[in-house]
Order: sequence, then structure tokens, then C-alpha cells
Amino acid sequence: MQIKLSINGQKKNVEINPGDTLLKAIRRLGLTGTKEGCGEGECGACTVLLDGLPINSCLYLAFNAQGKDILTIEGLKGKNGLHPVQKAFVEEGAIQCGYCTPGMVLISKALIDRNPHPTEEEIRNSLSGNLCRCTGYVKIVNAVKRVAEGGKRNEK
Amino acid sequence: MKNESRVIGRRVSRIDATEKVTGSFKYPSDLTMPGLLHAVVLRSPHGHAEIEEIESSAAESLEGVIKVFTAKDVSQELFGEIVKDTPIFAREKVRYYGEPVACVLADSEDVARNAIKKIKVKYKTLPEVFDPSEAMKEEAPLIHDNYPGNIAVEKKAERGDVEKAFAECAVIEKDTFTLPYVHQVPLEPNGCIAFVDERGQLNLYTPNQSPAWLRSRLAELFNLDLFQVRVIQIQGGGGFGGKCPLTIEQICVALALDIKRPVRLVNNREEDFYATWGRVPMKIELELGADKSGKLLAKRSRVIADNGAYSNIAPGVLSTALTRIDSLYRLKNVENIGWLVYTNKIPTGMFRGFGNPQITFTVETLIDRLAARLNIDPGEMRKRNAPCAGDVSVHGWNLKSCGLTECIAICMEESNWNWKGPGKMEKGKKVYRGQGLACCIHVAGNRGVYPSFDGSAAEVRIGPDGGVKVLSGEGEIGCGANTTFAQIAAEILGVEMERIQVPEVDSCYSPFGLGAYASRVTAIGGNAVKNAAENALEQLKEEAACLMGLNKEEIIYEEGRFKSGDKTLTFEEVCREGCYSKGGTTIVGKGTYIPQDVTIADKETLYGNISPSYSFGAQLVDLEIDVETGKVKILDFLAVQDLGRVLNPLGAEGQLEGGVIMGIGYALSEELVLGEKGEVINPRYRDYKIPLAIDSPQVRVKFVETNDPVGPFGAKSVGEPALVPTAPAIANAIFNAVGIKVNSLPITPEKMKMELQKKIRELEEKE
Repeated sequence: MQIKLSINGQKKNVEINPGDTLLKAIRRLGLTGTKEGCGEGECGACTVLLDGLPINSCLYLAFNAQGKDILTIEGLKGKNGLHPVQKAFVEEGAIQCGYCTPGMVLISKALIDRNPHPTEEEIRNSLSGNLCRCTGYVKIVNAVKRVAEGGKRNEK
Repeated sequence: MKNESRVIGRRVSRIDATEKVTGSFKYPSDLTMPGLLHAVVLRSPHGHAEIEEIESSAAESLEGVIKVFTAKDVSQELFGEIVKDTPIFAREKVRYYGEPVACVLADSEDVARNAIKKIKVKYKTLPEVFDPSEAMKEEAPLIHDNYPGNIAVEKKAERGDVEKAFAECAVIEKDTFTLPYVHQVPLEPNGCIAFVDERGQLNLYTPNQSPAWLRSRLAELFNLDLFQVRVIQIQGGGGFGGKCPLTIEQICVALALDIKRPVRLVNNREEDFYATWGRVPMKIELELGADKSGKLLAKRSRVIADNGAYSNIAPGVLSTALTRIDSLYRLKNVENIGWLVYTNKIPTGMFRGFGNPQITFTVETLIDRLAARLNIDPGEMRKRNAPCAGDVSVHGWNLKSCGLTECIAICMEESNWNWKGPGKMEKGKKVYRGQGLACCIHVAGNRGVYPSFDGSAAEVRIGPDGGVKVLSGEGEIGCGANTTFAQIAAEILGVEMERIQVPEVDSCYSPFGLGAYASRVTAIGGNAVKNAAENALEQLKEEAACLMGLNKEEIIYEEGRFKSGDKTLTFEEVCREGCYSKGGTTIVGKGTYIPQDVTIADKETLYGNISPSYSFGAQLVDLEIDVETGKVKILDFLAVQDLGRVLNPLGAEGQLEGGVIMGIGYALSEELVLGEKGEVINPRYRDYKIPLAIDSPQVRVKFVETNDPVGPFGAKSVGEPALVPTAPAIANAIFNAVGIKVNSLPITPEKMKMELQKKIRELEEKE
């Protein structure tokens, strides 16, 4: 069947099977920045924003995403370059293998949008549905803190 | 000196960071190609069983299924690193739950997943054995006919006179430790794509950590000429050792060679637990003795290592467990014996630390018990035993630099260290605090994989456009090696990072490198890159001299300019004119590095200087134990590492921070739980508990820079050692808080609570 999705501000016609997840539909469009880490809603690598709210796209039916604004990692960078969260991740060293990064960036953006000045505990709480096996979260938390503090560099 | 700090030592962002943060970076599971077929493996539902019949016609008749493969369709060679015992698909019998039995190749992954359910395999179950100690008994079921007692390997490492030394000890501590099966669980499950091109060349896209090693293993297994095998490394989503051994590539390749179309094999999360092999579980009996000043005199260890059903890389892991810790201190008398034992479990392999986390846990916890009996501060006791630069250790390790004493001192100074012996529980007290310290030593390379070699080669290619390409065969698995290589080249060539590209490893054009294991890439590969960059710079100086009509010796190069008197040429000018004046050729700086005094450890005694340099670290944890819940809460964590020289603080800190958190998982929550057939009970993130952001402390990191004489710019290793001391530091803090001796991991709240209640009962009985 064919459905209409609005992804990163563009309308797309997507061919799906009725049971296909949003993750599958997105990746089929070549938007492979959204990752599958578990396919069971446990790792957060497939996080996308749906009308601004983070969801695990591996648990969400593509069919149900019709009529909603979907933001994937590919849609975050604006005309003026990287989003402040992306910039902070790059400069704070919050990326290693990078497989969790798209999900981490989007969940962090959603947090900052909702709560521009989160505490460390609020940041850690917010990131706890997104797993990272490389960084130990330290620099990811620092990156989000930096955005919350208005982009100051955490130079040691 | 002013040149040395231009790029090296700076907080440099990863060269792939922008691609990764925008989602444009392509991982192995993102790759596709026209005509791609999808493979899904049917795995054994028994721990030990004879295969009587495989009936695959129902699967083969499904629309979209190309072919069903079983053992009869593929190479009959066995593989394995030291012991060759592993078939591509199980033959007469299966030896573990999850062993590949057949594989469906289909148009889509969905079809293939559906089709494997239609394959009917008739099994006749056999008695299983899961505990290595049981497996060693005479009456135990034999897993491989040619390995009596189920012993794959037996090894010894003995030096000095242990009997005599123990007799001289003022205190001796002895205990038995059980270290669990833990899994790397990289965020991206393993996957690869293989195809045979029209000229008959095998091509493989893989995140494998050692492309060159993989290539030779595949050529051997499939009886191909090495030049017919092309391996292209695609940086994967995490490795941690799990993507180093041959685990799925041989299946993908076997299918591609047969079908002559591109084949994709990507594990899902559950499959990855069966198809990517975790840390070797060990049962270690350890005896450690010291004189009354706290000087360690003797060590005796008996290691029973769980091989799982096939050997793969675990023989090497056993050697490490038998030797590595002995060079951490000035021990002279050691007697270590180990057995690698077959069981009907998932094979075990390499995981960050390679045997070192297991043995370090035992020694580092017993040191605290000795210190308590001697009433010596455990930090002081470790300092008294720490080696110095210039020492040759008990196993012949040549310690050219060593900052262990300083690492320990920083831990003690920067953490309100206040050790007053093992903690005692009091009636009614609900929360206890404790501090614990532990240390480690690790290699930077471990000669012995390629019998004659543990070196690296690199090329720095500079074109007329002034662009610099750094080619190395070592590869990038996420740790930041390519960024480090770019920094090294930028430093030597005096150019900006943006000018440098580090292409992925491709056996078609990359020089030889062994890859990312044994924490070797920066120290060994980095030296090769440094030499290649220096060679390229010499060639550029020659070109500059030629352009100026001078001798090379008259040219000075600084800040991107070739100068002599008042003549100046820029880097771009020399590249352009130098290349075009020779017909547009590329300037190729070649560099190699072979550690000079490094040997393969002797097969019988395991003696020998196996690595060009050795890293040291100390970690200190401050924690809190809740008596009611048994939960251990980390309040502060300080990791101090002698890594020789920090080339990039962002990367080095990241390695330590990530290693510590992974080590906390090993200590407190992670364990692969197997059911009665050897099936994984918890093959998902929900149940296999790696630390979450909310569980993890904000790790503090400090470095000791000993400027190793061998490493590039003085650098040694940091990747693996980052997690080695973490678990024993936590166990020591628990000992310090409540006096409980931790003998097994993970220290789950349930386990902790049971121990606490036992202590409380003892307390009540005394009253």
C-alpha cells in the first residue's frame, strides 16, 4: 500500500506493507541516518521526532505517522549549518563509533526544546532510553550541558 | 618543541564527526547494492545433539528463496586461530545452542527469516556439559572426539621459586573467583556483504577489526590466493573485540562464492549474542603472599577458562590471563597453570582487555585483603611494589616507561583518600560508604598473531592539489584512530587537519596493518604513519630544493613554508610544482614500523617481551551501599592513566570514560544468563543490562605523561586498559565499606543484599 509521509519538511509517497514500522519506511527512502540497534524499542538508536516529540521509530507503525511532521537526523542541519546540539556533540567529543549519535542528538534536541536549561539529572534521565556503549555518556552529557549553557566550551 | 604542540595534544574533533552527527555516515548495515541477496542463519536449538536429517525443500520452495545452504554446500575446512576445530555449518553434530546449522539465501531478509522456520532438522540429543570444571571430569560427555577431558589447551607460566617464596611470606591470601560471560553488545550488530566479481575476485565489506588478518583467514579457509581476496573495512557501530574473530564473515563468503551474487548477512540483536563472542568466563583460584612490609613475594594461580564449544581466539586469552598481571608489580615468583575447556556453550572470544580484566580482578582484590591484614594502606602497598622505567618484569617485559607510582599517587591525592581498613557493619546503619583503588598494566600490541611480524606500514600520499592522504592498514573501529593518524601527519607536515584525508582500509590499496586489537593501533600504526609523513616531508624538501636550485640541506621547513635565505615556497607550490615537474606523479611517503626488541612469547613458558610499550593505570572509586536494596551507587570515579603522551585529549578522555562505564557494567550488572540447553535467557538490552546514562557517574580522568621512548610522540595505549581496573576498584570499595569480600561478578543488588544479610546475621549471632 502507499502512504504519504511528511519527512524533514518534504512530502513523500512511500510504498509499505501494512505492518511496516516507521523505521523501515524511513530507511527504505534512503534516510539511513536513523539506525536500528535492537528493533525492540530498547536502545533508542532509531529515535526520530514526531511533531517534535521523540519516539522509537522501530515500534511505531509507518501508517500511523501519516499527517504528522517527522524529523530525522538528516533534517536537523539547517541552512546555516549544524544545529547547536550537533555542533556541541562534534566539539565536545561526544561521538565515538557514532551509531547512537543520531538518536542521542534528536533526544537531546527534544529535551532542549522542552526544557532549555536542564540540570545534569534531567539530562541523564532524558538520555536513559538511548544507549551508548562507547562514550560512557560523559561527553554526551557535557554536550547537552553546553547547549543548555548557551554554547560555552567545556575546555579543560 | 613549538612544532610539537601544534596539533598533537590538542582537543581535536574527530574527522568523521560531522558525517556521524548529520546521519550521512554509512555503516555496514546501511550498505546495499543492486541484486543484493539476504542471508539468514538457522541456529541449533540444542546444546549438544547429533544431526540426523535436514529437510529444506519446504523452505526452498518459498517464493523469493534462492537456496538453502548446509554443511555439505560449503568448504569442509575447519577454522580457528590456534586450534582449528570450527566448521562453517555444523556437520554431524551441534555443540552449542545457537550454532549455525543452515542458512537461507533469499531476495529479502523477511523472506529468508520466514524460510528458516520451514527447515526441518531432526536431532538426537546428547548429554551436555556447561560447567568447565565438570567438563574436565572423566565421565563428562566429550564435545570434540580428539580432545580428551574436553581440554583444548593447557598452559603454564612459571618463574622463580614459588614454594620458597611462599614460605617467606608474612601473610598469604587465597580465594577462588568466578568471572562471568559478558558480551560486547556494540550498538550495531555485526554484519557484512560479500560478492565475487566478474574476474573471480572475492570482495568483502566488513566492520572487522583486523582486515588483513581476516583476509588471510578467509583465503586459507576457502583455499583462495590471497590476491583474490579484497577486504574493505567499513567502520562499524562499535567493536570492543567482538568484531575481530571470524564469526559470520565465513558464512557470507561461502554463500557468495557459491551463488556468484552479492550476499548480505546482518545479525539482529538476538543473533548477535550467539554470533559475536564475548569475554572468556573464568574460574580462578589465586594465592598471593607478601612480606610484612607489603612487598609481594609469590603468586600462584589456577585458571579454568571456559572456551565454549569452539576455540577461536580463547587460547590467546588464556595466555594473557596467565601472565599479564605479573608485570604490574615487581613480582619474582609466579606459578600459573591454566586450562581452556570445551563446554556446550556459545564460543568465547576477545573482548576489551583480552583476559586481563579477569585476572586483574583477582589479584587486585587479594592485594587489598593482604593490605588489610598487614594494616598497610593499599595505595601505599601498591606503590611499594610498583615497577619503574628500565625494569624487566618476571616474564621478560621491558618496561621502557612506567608511571604507575604517579597514577596511584594522583588517585590518592585527588580523591580525599582516607583508607582505614575493611569496613565493619553496625546494627541499624542503612547506608555505608567506601573507597577502593585498583591498578592495571596493558600492552600496546601483542606479537604472536602473525608468527613473524607485529608491525605496521603506512603511506602518506600528496598530490599536486596539496591534499594529503594517509593510508594505513590498521583501520578505524570507532576509537578515533583515523583522527589520530591525521593529527600525526598534520603535525609532521605542518599542515592543517582539513587538508588530510584518511581513507578506509581497502586491501586493494592500503598498506599492511594488523588492525585494532591489543590496543596497538596508535603505538604501532601511529609510528608507521609518523615515519611515512617524515619520509614525505623529506621528499618535499628535495622538491623545494630542486625548485630553488639548492641542496636539500639548505632548506628549512616551518609553518607550511619551505625557506632558504629570502627564498620561500609554500606547501601548495612545492606539491604542485614537485608533482607536475615529474609528469604529475604523486609524492608517496612510505613508512614502516617494526618494534625492535619485541618477541613472540615462548610457547612453553610464555616468556618474552611481547609489546613495544606498556601502559599503566590506577582507578579510584567512592561509592555508597544501600543495605535495604543492596544497590551500589557510584559517587565519584577517578581514572588516571599513564598512556605515555596524550595525542588528543578528546579521544583519550573518551576512551577512559567509556572504558570505566563499561567496567562498571562488568562489575555491577552485566552477565549473559544461559538456560538449561545453553540458550541465552537475556538476549536483549532490556535484560542484558549495560549502564544507562542515569546509572553512570561523571567519570573524572587524569593523565600521566611518561613520554615513552618508543611510541609516536611518546604515546602508548589507552583503549583496553581503560576498563581493566574498574571492577576490582569497586570490589575493593565494597570491602572498604562493609568488609564483604567479593569473589564473583556481577555484584547485582540481589547478590549484594544476600551478602549484607549474611553479615548482619553474623553480627546478631555475636551479640
